[in-house]
Amino acid sequence: MMSGFETIVMYLGMSLFVILAMLGISAMLGPFRPKPRKRTTYECGVPLIHPGQKRYEIKYYLVAVLFLVFDLETVLIYPLAVRYRALAHYGWGIFFEVFIFVAVLLAGLIYAIKKRAIEWD
Amino acid sequence: MEGWGIIIIKIVFIWTWTLLIATLMTWIERRGAGLIQDRLGPNRAGPFGIFQPLADGIKLFTKEDIVPEKAHKILFALGPILFALPAFSAYAVVPFGDKIVLGGKEIILQVADVSVGFLYIVAIGSMSVYGIVLGGWGSNNKYSILGGLRSTAQLISYEVPWGLALLAAVLLYGTFSLRDMAFAQQGVFLGFLPNWGIFKQPLGFILFMVAAYAEANRVPFDLPEAESEIVAGYHTEYGSMRLGLYLFGEYVNIYTLSALIVTLYFGAWNLPYVDMSKFLGPVAYGLASFLVFFLKVAFFLWLFVWVRWTVPRFRYDQVMGLGWKSLIPLALINLFITALFVQFTA
Repeated sequence: MMSGFETIVMYLGMSLFVILAMLGISAMLGPFRPKPRKRTTYECGVPLIHPGQKRYEIKYYLVAVLFLVFDLETVLIYPLAVRYRALAHYGWGIFFEVFIFVAVLLAGLIYAIKKRAIEWD
Repeated sequence: MEGWGIIIIKIVFIWTWTLLIATLMTWIERRGAGLIQDRLGPNRAGPFGIFQPLADGIKLFTKEDIVPEKAHKILFALGPILFALPAFSAYAVVPFGDKIVLGGKEIILQVADVSVGFLYIVAIGSMSVYGIVLGGWGSNNKYSILGGLRSTAQLISYEVPWGLALLAAVLLYGTFSLRDMAFAQQGVFLGFLPNWGIFKQPLGFILFMVAAYAEANRVPFDLPEAESEIVAGYHTEYGSMRLGLYLFGEYVNIYTLSALIVTLYFGAWNLPYVDMSKFLGPVAYGLASFLVFFLKVAFFLWLFVWVRWTVPRFRYDQVMGLGWKSLIPLALINLFITALFVQFTA
């Protein structure tokens, strides 16, 4: 008895195989004539001033924190959403549970916007 | 349950089909650009330039594979693989038709009808950001790193409204199986409209559509590879088939997203007012459902091209502002409306 997940694994395996085959064929067919000038980092033709991997000021780092919160909350509502129609037969209780959950989420979002967490400067 | 032979045929078929359409899309995009900008577009290779993707493919295969000296060798190699793998594999749970009966055996036109197919799409869809970030960082090029950073912030920001729009759809259909969602859209709604998701989730559809464009890095959200500012963004240093995997993965992503839009909001393979299974034979019905599904997807594929050559690019703070200040609050409100709707119709 197959649950379908074996099929997904086979699909993933096929994708990986073809990707590696494409890269392999490309490596075999293409020429290989490395030159120092060819292997420099691209910077509009001028000599490199300083390495690329220096420290950057990451704007929007708070967005990453907010994303974690909101994505987790979304995941928490998924099991509830799939059973919602069945639970709605028992009355309005389930609606108010969702309402409170989402209202807290919305209040948090408004707070974050008011605190200028997602502004450029 | 289907035998291994049929499953392998289905996997090979739909895998090849998605890649064939993605290949054709590169041609349609350039011909479409020609059409919209009142010029010809590629027209040398074959009739109407139809063999242009083939020529491009041969060119990418026979190019020298240059790795920059300063690049991080492992991450540089890993980037395109990590980007293409989720892109190529996401279609595994999306249906491409109803079912076909051959020699007394019923074959469903979907690779894997798993009960949590939906979660698979959400999970694997967010994997592609690793390919972009690691490729951009591994290149050790300023443009690449800037492109990688931009795409991280953009992809995670739009994943939230994307997930919330999908959440409302799950709430409406009450299932995680994309096939069951397609079945839930048969018949009529309010007596005269087709029973499609778009009429029950108009706001959800718009949110999903906008977020899908952002997730696919398409215009007007193509800031990670904005050519007028940061050359080519995260794939500046890439060449040969490594670049090919990035470009190709993007088109496969577009195909998967279009198929998702059709499955969730446009009735999958169901025609409005007509039940094809009533008057078509089992084989003809299978082919017809495949064709109807594909024609709907083709419209959304064309819409991606159309939008690309029509709309200008956003500024970066506009992208983030739109995501957090408009789409997410709207998505939460949409969730309320959907919950109310289900409550009244339950």
